Amino acid sequence: MSTPFIEVKNLSKHFPIKGGFFSRQIASVKAVSDVSLKIQKGETLGLVGESGCGKSTLGRCIIRLIDVSAGQILLEGKDITQTKGEELRALRRKMQIIFQDPYSSLNPRMTVGKIIEEPLIIHKIGNSANDRRNRVKELIETVGLRKESIDRYPHEFSGGQRQRIGIARSLAVEPELIVCDEPVSALDVSIQAQVINLLMDLQQKLGLTYLFIAHDLKVVEHISNRVAVMYLGKVVELADADELYKNPRHPYTQALLSAIPVPKVGGHKMKRIILQGDVPSPVNPPSGCYFNPRCPIMSDECKTTDPILKNLGSNHEARCLKV
Amino acid sequence: MSSVVEVKNLVTSFKTQEGTFNAVDNVSFKVDAGKTLGIVGESGCGKSVTSLSIMGLIPMPPGKIESGEILFKGQNLLKLSQNEMRKIRGNKIGMIFQEPMTSLNPVFTIGNQIEEAIKLHQKELSSKQVREKAIDMLKLVGIPSPEKRIDDYPHQLSGGMRQRVMIAIALSCSPDLLIADEPTTALDVTIQAQILDLIKKLQRELNTAMILITHDLGVVAETCDDVAVMYAGKIVEYGTADQIFNRPLHPYTKGLLNSVPHFETGKRKTRLETIPGIVPSLANLPQGCRFFDRCTQSIEQCKVRQPELEKLEHNVACYNPVKQK
Repeated sequence: MSTPFIEVKNLSKHFPIKGGFFSRQIASVKAVSDVSLKIQKGETLGLVGESGCGKSTLGRCIIRLIDVSAGQILLEGKDITQTKGEELRALRRKMQIIFQDPYSSLNPRMTVGKIIEEPLIIHKIGNSANDRRNRVKELIETVGLRKESIDRYPHEFSGGQRQRIGIARSLAVEPELIVCDEPVSALDVSIQAQVINLLMDLQQKLGLTYLFIAHDLKVVEHISNRVAVMYLGKVVELADADELYKNPRHPYTQALLSAIPVPKVGGHKMKRIILQGDVPSPVNPPSGCYFNPRCPIMSDECKTTDPILKNLGSNHEARCLKV
Repeated sequence: MSSVVEVKNLVTSFKTQEGTFNAVDNVSFKVDAGKTLGIVGESGCGKSVTSLSIMGLIPMPPGKIESGEILFKGQNLLKLSQNEMRKIRGNKIGMIFQEPMTSLNPVFTIGNQIEEAIKLHQKELSSKQVREKAIDMLKLVGIPSPEKRIDDYPHQLSGGMRQRVMIAIALSCSPDLLIADEPTTALDVTIQAQILDLIKKLQRELNTAMILITHDLGVVAETCDDVAVMYAGKIVEYGTADQIFNRPLHPYTKGLLNSVPHFETGKRKTRLETIPGIVPSLANLPQGCRFFDRCTQSIEQCKVRQPELEKLEHNVACYNPVKQK
């Protein structure tokens, strides 16, 4: 197989908790631990999990918005884990992000034109102000807004339209990878569908690679080629989207899939597995398998042994002793 | 059997700088004991205003209930004084709000807050009995070791646990009607499954009538007996869950159902069906049907006159409803 576009090797990110006398580090939040995955060029990797499972942290580590604690990130085979300064800035042209909240991720005092132009100025794209303005107009049309929007302010737009502005801004520097961090979860259903369609069209047109982070499994299934399920900072299952939804192997994935309310009355339904309790705190994760306190098929072994990601064939991996 | 609550032609308006708008416009529905009515729709369609109108919690001004009746066990709530309403609210009608983080008071223990509701409405109980009842309620909603947890503050609990406390408060006086306004929207799927399961179980045990407000069609399909679909302040379709999900008549309902991604393996990477455009602003409603400019099957008549809810197979407000195959 060719070199993956992005390869993550044993990545961990721990946030220190300071306290006590002299603000010493007293503990750490293990937001991401020992995650390895690959994203091929032009594909969409979905990343799902509940709040606090580390999916956003992982996304931000990959595009180097935050520094990693351990592990490696390879971009087209080149190690970018320690890249700094001017070099890192050049890297940013390749990797962009779309944020969850279209209300707080746009500066209310800048016009749409200025918002989208800013990355062009930073990366010195376009020769003149006129050049840039034309490019901005082009981008606005690419995401399905009207050209006249260029001189309006974010508050004049609806949530879905603001998300389109955010998408236009991330496209401005012609990136190859876009991390979509819950891009549709703040939107109404009918608007969600419009934005998902837009993202899929753009991918086809521009050959983009997506890391699509969401807690909505239905949306992820729709847009992704491959899906990684995270629980408490670890990837517990990784497979092709079709395979994962048809044949989930990890008990957490099974419970997660069965918990989704299906908009269908009558007919065949998946048997619901209701998990007991809450997600444990990542400051003090349980011993052995992190999922063992909530697992319906837990045995004594699970309390002591931390399973590794096992290859089950046909690109399917799961982190469970019982598979 | 008579209904627990019956809303007739409710109109609630809000006065703003640009004029007065009807956030809820001529809405009628009813709920029987032990049954659940789901109200679905997108943000701003008036579903929360409907529930606040029933609770008598519309801030007046700028809000105003212009006309209509809200019959709660035969009694018109709109005719009651503030004092009389206070005896019903929280006692006969309980409410669960969306945000378990903000709807609990951070400076009181959860015990205080459950006891407050019980003390207010069941004055005959002694403090000791009130505390016992509060512990019972916590046990009922599945909070482990309630004797200890009762002295916790809200910040010591997780989101799911806080929502359980809210449910305990809402049910502490065994209400006849429970209004749940997006009770699981702020929660994760596995916790959502727990909470919905709990609400359904308690409803069965207590035979409570329930109004469930949500934008999640999945949640509605799993929990509701009847469904009302709202759009821009009006109910556009009203029927049993089976009718709405399997034989939708209104193009908006059909559009909503189609725009949710389904688990259909093998059919990946197709575009989702969308409803073009956005919800019209209440300040700027079209003269005819409010869905007109987003509708794919509008006819001449739709532009001129607003359709009213009519009984076809079930109630729908549309001149050119979806044909059934």
